[in-house]
Amino acid sequence: MQFILGIDIGGTFTDAFATDDQARVVSAKSPSTPDNYARGVIDAIDELASRLKLSTEALLQSTSYICHGTTASLNSLVTGTAAKVGFITTCGHGDSIVIMNGEGRYAGLGPEQIQDFTRTNKPPPLVRKRLVKEVDERVDYKGAEILPLNETVAREAIKELIDEDVAAIAVSLLWSFRNPAHENRIRELIHEVAPELYVSLSSEVCPRIREYPRSVTTIMNGQVGPALRAYLRSLQDELERRRFGGVLLVMQGSGGTISADTAPRQAISTIGSVLVGGVVGSVNLGESLGHKNIISTDMGGTTFLVGLVVDGKPVTATTTVINQYTLNLPMVRVAAIGSGGGAIAWIDQGGNLKVGPRSAGAAPGPACYAAGGHDPTITDADVVLGILNPDFFLGGRKHLRRDLSEQAIREKIAEPLKMSVEQAAATIYSIANAQASDLVRKCVVSAGYDPRDFALYSFGGAGPVHCAGYAADLGVGTVVVPLGETASAFSAFGLAASNVGLTAEVSRPQNFPVPAEVVNHTFEELEARLRSDLEAQRIPFSRVTMAREIDIRYTLQLAEVSTPVKSGKLSEDDIHGISDSFEELYTKLYGKGTGYREAGLQFITYRVFAVGYLPFKPSLPVLPKARAGVESAIKGRRRAFLDLASGWIETTVYDYEKLAFGHEIEGPAIVEAPTTTVAVTPRAMARIDQLGNLVLHFK
Amino acid sequence: MIPTIAGAEKFAYRPGSRADLLKKIPAGLKLHSVGRAQVAKLDPLTYEVIRHRLWAITEEMGEAIKRMSGSVVVTDCNDFDCAVMDELGDEVQVGLYNAQLCASMDMAVKWTLENRAANPGIAEGDMFLCNDPWVGGGLHQNDASLFAPFFWEGELLGWTCAVAHQVDVGGVSPGSWTPRSENVFWESLPTPPIKLVEKFQIRADIEDAFLRRSRMPKLLALDLRAMMGANNIAQERLTVLIRKYGADVVKAVMYRAMDDAEERLRAKLRALPDGTWHAVSYQDQAKSGDRGLHKVVLAMTKQHDRLIFDFRGTDPQVIGMINCTYAGMRAGVLAIVMMWLCGDIPWAPGGIERCLEFISEDGTLNNCTFPSGISKASVGSTWATHNVAIECIAAMLDMHPTHRENAMSVCIGTWDLILLSGVDQHDNGFVTMLCDPMAGGLGARADQDGVDTGGGPCIPMGRAADVEMNEFQFPILYLWRREEIDSGGPGRFRGGLGASSCFMIHDSSTRQMGLVVSSSGKAVPLACGTSGGYPANTSYDVAVRNSNVRKLLGGRRWPRELSDLGGEFEYLPPECDTQLGWDDVYYTNWQGGGGYGDPILREPERVAWDVAERKVSREAARAVYGVALDDRGQVIMSETQQLRRELRMRRAGRSGASPRVAEVSQSGWSRIDDNVALDADGRSRCAHCGTILAEGGRNYLDGALVRRGAPSEAGPQIRGEPDRFVDQRVTFRQFCCPGCYAALLTEIVPADETQYRTKTIAPRDAASVTRG
Repeated sequence: MQFILGIDIGGTFTDAFATDDQARVVSAKSPSTPDNYARGVIDAIDELASRLKLSTEALLQSTSYICHGTTASLNSLVTGTAAKVGFITTCGHGDSIVIMNGEGRYAGLGPEQIQDFTRTNKPPPLVRKRLVKEVDERVDYKGAEILPLNETVAREAIKELIDEDVAAIAVSLLWSFRNPAHENRIRELIHEVAPELYVSLSSEVCPRIREYPRSVTTIMNGQVGPALRAYLRSLQDELERRRFGGVLLVMQGSGGTISADTAPRQAISTIGSVLVGGVVGSVNLGESLGHKNIISTDMGGTTFLVGLVVDGKPVTATTTVINQYTLNLPMVRVAAIGSGGGAIAWIDQGGNLKVGPRSAGAAPGPACYAAGGHDPTITDADVVLGILNPDFFLGGRKHLRRDLSEQAIREKIAEPLKMSVEQAAATIYSIANAQASDLVRKCVVSAGYDPRDFALYSFGGAGPVHCAGYAADLGVGTVVVPLGETASAFSAFGLAASNVGLTAEVSRPQNFPVPAEVVNHTFEELEARLRSDLEAQRIPFSRVTMAREIDIRYTLQLAEVSTPVKSGKLSEDDIHGISDSFEELYTKLYGKGTGYREAGLQFITYRVFAVGYLPFKPSLPVLPKARAGVESAIKGRRRAFLDLASGWIETTVYDYEKLAFGHEIEGPAIVEAPTTTVAVTPRAMARIDQLGNLVLHFK
Repeated sequence: MIPTIAGAEKFAYRPGSRADLLKKIPAGLKLHSVGRAQVAKLDPLTYEVIRHRLWAITEEMGEAIKRMSGSVVVTDCNDFDCAVMDELGDEVQVGLYNAQLCASMDMAVKWTLENRAANPGIAEGDMFLCNDPWVGGGLHQNDASLFAPFFWEGELLGWTCAVAHQVDVGGVSPGSWTPRSENVFWESLPTPPIKLVEKFQIRADIEDAFLRRSRMPKLLALDLRAMMGANNIAQERLTVLIRKYGADVVKAVMYRAMDDAEERLRAKLRALPDGTWHAVSYQDQAKSGDRGLHKVVLAMTKQHDRLIFDFRGTDPQVIGMINCTYAGMRAGVLAIVMMWLCGDIPWAPGGIERCLEFISEDGTLNNCTFPSGISKASVGSTWATHNVAIECIAAMLDMHPTHRENAMSVCIGTWDLILLSGVDQHDNGFVTMLCDPMAGGLGARADQDGVDTGGGPCIPMGRAADVEMNEFQFPILYLWRREEIDSGGPGRFRGGLGASSCFMIHDSSTRQMGLVVSSSGKAVPLACGTSGGYPANTSYDVAVRNSNVRKLLGGRRWPRELSDLGGEFEYLPPECDTQLGWDDVYYTNWQGGGGYGDPILREPERVAWDVAERKVSREAARAVYGVALDDRGQVIMSETQQLRRELRMRRAGRSGASPRVAEVSQSGWSRIDDNVALDADGRSRCAHCGTILAEGGRNYLDGALVRRGAPSEAGPQIRGEPDRFVDQRVTFRQFCCPGCYAALLTEIVPADETQYRTKTIAPRDAASVTRG
């Protein structure tokens, strides 16, 4: 028997998921332990073992892989507890990270915050000035050395940084991706005096043009690297002590995993893993359900997250923003708005009803939590509308105070707007749905797709309450609410089933037509690097695939479109084919007649994604067909408001635990599951599939 | 003398009321509209959902333009905007891009309704191109706009519009900004609205006619398509929206969005005190060879729920390129009203502008007549209009207990234009505007410092390109790009730093390139302070001729300062058109933001942080802030107190009395700004020591001690000598409390200037504001 474990270390809970080659699955939950996350991981594995009626050692001994995602790195960046890093850069350009191209004042903020111009600020500096060292050296845009590295100055800078007791040194020099010699030499100089010091080189971490995001990425890599290295060492020790002989994998923001041995070198790639867990879970569930195009939506307490899966792969972006700093990092594209269950409904000065982006969060939480929150939230509206059952929230683990929801909505919304409490709640609910719908549409359309070609997956505590509402407008055919065995640990399930994914890229900006030999040579170099990186994972993959792309743009345009390129040796004709594909993609994204080839093209950055497939993949257990009729699952009836068209109606409530494969429910209905509540709107049909998921169709 | 041209009056547009406009539109053009009842019956849900969707549409338009455009100015600096408008061109929602432009788009559409409906007609599938700032649709000829009528069932329901800065639209200088300009005939030819797109297709003849004038026709063509794409996207989305909700409901939301913005701005204005605020902004030089100082002056009056902007007293239009049209003056105000007063109010200019009134004389700097030169308008007299509007609005906000958090001082006093042209490393000709000054310093606020290298006053999302992208595209090599220490205006809260770039030619076969530099603020700094805060730096451009830089490159040390470069310094004047040779190095230092409050009142710990982070030099810490630091950068308190006392005494001058230190009870007083309050009897008093400054109803500066000195008295940020560039003598002038010598107003002005910067507040109003 062989097991695979998936572990998702969240801010509050560590979720774990185990599956074996017999399609047996169990999940577990235990509190996260921020002082040393490894302990929480072991606790969760202990619980998995006990559910499987095995000792922890017996479970780990027969575990092939453990894949885990962690918020630890991201949290340390956001909360400013990251390691102290020294930064070495080209003389004259040390301010790049404080100038932030001017965009640092608003990058990553929502439109409401950006509009409030006089209140915007840059984030605190990434590195204090005394830890920023400029060295005399220069390389030009062709990679030619303009000024040799002044090693005397470099040694002095290194000494000063080490005297400051830095935990890592980040080195990012201008044009180092064209010629990394000076960066490599600086690392040698560092290791001459401090052989163990963590060194982050921009030519390795992200060899891509644009020095500001490259420097930020390199510095942040240095900020999270030492801690990740220490944490993974300790976790590996703990696991080995419990006779784990398999491979420990870490999830990356790109949606693929990487072995714990090699992860620290590219530590920055592991941030964002917690955001992508849901998208990766959707990919894996989609494989079982036959969905290749999926809109993954996760509505939690504070945010509403949207990711896309196209043709079975997560849609990625080449840059991301953390704490208003821009990073050059290929990551699964996840868009967010502050429209989670805790989003606050309020009235602006014009007397208009608004929902979010401010959130009551987990504390004090919605008014109905009775934890001191007096602002009405989306969750409070859900309670007033009869969708959420105050006595069966999270399966009855938390009692909600309907009277407090009513009071908050009455005082803050209904009375000022001269509406009834129920009307006000219905309006909050509908605005929340419309905003979610706008964001989903924007994500899908701006990526160049049509929502009608997608299935929508909805999870997170508040997602299923609203998904029928926000999906109906989009024209999606199918909505899936993952329930059953994967429900409580959807992200952990996603992790368990993830393959190893590595990315290599390099900028080599050049005008089109680029000679085929340059393109071939560049890709061969990247692929060779990936092959050796894959080997370093020390995993016997069942197979390996490589996918290439080039970021191309029209000359003088700054926006680039990542254009897929076929594998193998390319001819001059193929190069022209690449430009045709770019133009097709461009037209798809921006409409007919907007491309202008006469302006010329430029190939900017080359990138290869490698996937190493793990030898076995978990499969989910198929449920037996329902024997009893669907009526047996009826829990009761109550008056509820599920959509604007039907208003308040008598609604049947089902107990998910009693539903079985094949059961069909006609809306209006409410399905109460231990982890969430699903609103089945009047024009929707719900069906329980063979894995226990609830699948909605609209009439 | 600028001639008058018969026939030009057709284009000198002034938007009137909706009723007037309706009378001028031929009956053949069917307009869609709804009544008040339809607006009144909108439910909150429908309103919010559709309004949100309209905003999302402008965001999508903006994204589309950015991704499609070929000009760095657009893709990087966000110097463009887009709008959804109603049937009469009133703007319902504009994008969060260049807020200047929104005040001109409506004018272009309204002019088109009046002048194009009969001939050649306005029909479905049309788009009109315009770059005539007298008509609207942009502030100078580089702003080309493309606007499209949106028809529903045969009726004109609304318009969508995109406008973007084009790198070159012709004229005698590359980049179309012309320091040699005498008048508009030296510049790009303005094009009033022409039908570029007909039946959804670009008309090749019209397009060619427009492209032919440009040095970069391909780039211009690409941008026309970007704007066309944005309009297409907007119209597709509007169609979907109307199919679902119906044309009448969508139109009702459009009207209500404007009403809502108007009502909310009026409510905010009602909460603010009534009064009149005065400000002035100077531009040194109107063209190459000019040695004048040209001023825009403003008296802004707030009465109940409206703002009146009175520009009388502004200098007459000049020969040169710095003038702006009526659209530019209106834009200069509206952009700042949106950025400073509408942070939390929907950007529906069609409603916001109803709260504003303008008084201005034709033929003046910021309301010039054809054919005055306007190629620099957007950052010439429009920017000067921004500066005076900011001064007045910030001073008004400063009086209010909560709204004062939006009181931000003047930001980067002007745009420092850097236009490069020549032959690039691929042997292609090129022209580009370098957007590094997009990282300008923002003004200090009443409760915190300004943002260092944070942007500009009219573009919420400005952006400078990475050095590597500039070096990849253009034949230049940077010696540095850095924040300039001390460039932020000193104050109790410091203005944001400006920055500098320094570069040379690299890898160009011709070994030289054209350089157009245009930046006022060299004799008189333009980012002045608020509430006694000091002005930010002067702008400063130097060409180091025949430097030894190429020898340095073979050595061991990279140059760090201009003084490392040898050669001869040529201090480039505000308006200049020159060449950069193989051994030359160009250095440009753009402006920071003005300070807030008196720098000697700044918490010493903040100064220590600034010194550690190289925002402020040790010298300025002592000389301007009066803060002494030890070797480790820690504050030495006793010496700091001593230094600050000395600074006060220096202000006291010959009067020599010790500074008064009175702890006065301020009960019943109401705040005017950081230094001044009105007591219960309406007298102006120093808020620090209680000294009476003026009797009720009098200018609070009447009783102040006035001190003058060389401009460098304001601090090391004031670089360069004014007499290099202008004939008038320029002086530092500070109004201080006669009791404790706190700085009440700190400015750098022409020596013979009458005093413009004052405020008149109804005492009753001030009191009610502060207590309320």
